[in-house]
Amino acid sequence: MIETTLERGVGLRIRPWLGIAAAASFVVASFMALIWAPADAVQGEVYRIIYVHVPSAWLAYLAFVVVFLASVGWLWSRRPLFDAIAVASAEIGVLFTGLALVAGSIWAKPTWGVWWTWEPRLVTTAVMFVMYVGYLLLRGLSTDFQRRATRAAILGVILVIDVPIVHLSVLWANSLHQLPTVLRAAGGPALDSSMLLTLMVSVAAFTLVYAYFMSARVAIELVRQERLWIRT
Amino acid sequence: MLERIGSRRLLIVAALATAVIVGVFSVTNLASSTVYYLTPSEAKLRTLPTGQLVRLGGLVKVGSLSIRPLSFHGPNEFEFVITDGSVDVRVLGQGAIPGLLREGAGAIVEGSFTADATFIATQVIAKHDEVYTAPTAGATPAHRTSLP
Repeated sequence: MIETTLERGVGLRIRPWLGIAAAASFVVASFMALIWAPADAVQGEVYRIIYVHVPSAWLAYLAFVVVFLASVGWLWSRRPLFDAIAVASAEIGVLFTGLALVAGSIWAKPTWGVWWTWEPRLVTTAVMFVMYVGYLLLRGLSTDFQRRATRAAILGVILVIDVPIVHLSVLWANSLHQLPTVLRAAGGPALDSSMLLTLMVSVAAFTLVYAYFMSARVAIELVRQERLWIRT
Repeated sequence: MLERIGSRRLLIVAALATAVIVGVFSVTNLASSTVYYLTPSEAKLRTLPTGQLVRLGGLVKVGSLSIRPLSFHGPNEFEFVITDGSVDVRVLGQGAIPGLLREGAGAIVEGSFTADATFIATQVIAKHDEVYTAPTAGATPAHRTSLP
């Protein structure tokens, strides 16, 4: 009971501020991405999709790593809070994986010339999307809370393996997707300092949105758990 | 209770171990067994049968790209040479080509070889690198988002 009150109290107090910070940083990021940052020398204006595409993919990684950590937390301690964090993060991760795929597709058509092609990065990302949709479906299979949480947690631990695979897939020989721009193997980030700053602000804005979504979604899940008499 | 905690921890170790094994297997095997395209040299080495669908990747040879409209509103006819530095392949095709297709830049073509080793492309994909810079004064970006 003390734990629940604490969790909910903290969530309630922080959430409005997270919402305000997320909205404000989105306004700043939009201005920087659409107006302040220069066009690209090769791609022209269309490259600006990077400011949606890269932060979305980053959030997908972040969300699924959080699912992994929360899954380990549940298996280790059986605290229902961990299961709430896992389901919340998985849902948000699926959302942003989808957004990364859609934004990437819209970027690919005018530059590569195709909406979709069976290229390693694209395939591994699509697999990641489908696997976590499967994770959410699996959660619906059992009505027994303990069983559901344990099954989901085992899957949550195993599925995280696709995150490094997606990230490293661009390094495989004969692929199409460009290499990482910021986290490069050799040398610093391969983009203008103003572009890099814009990208960093966009990533920060998306991360704040993630935190805001998480605080709301975890709170919903905690209420659900309480209604089902899982925590009293 | 102690027993239950013990089996639970065992479950975590088992799940983590499975994840690591699956991960190592997939990374090492996928990286070597997935081929998105062949280079012209690899294609030559394999002596592909004519008509076999294949993707070919390399650089568009400088001075080789030509695009001709077939009719005023109709599709374009294009021709260029794709090279990996040692083997050149002549590519012919009709239809849309990506805005970023340039001489000296990367490209991937989908299609098949004819009997005389010309490549008939059904799809052209432009490859671009991870470098982004502001355009220098006076220069226009190679790719513009307006309609042609």
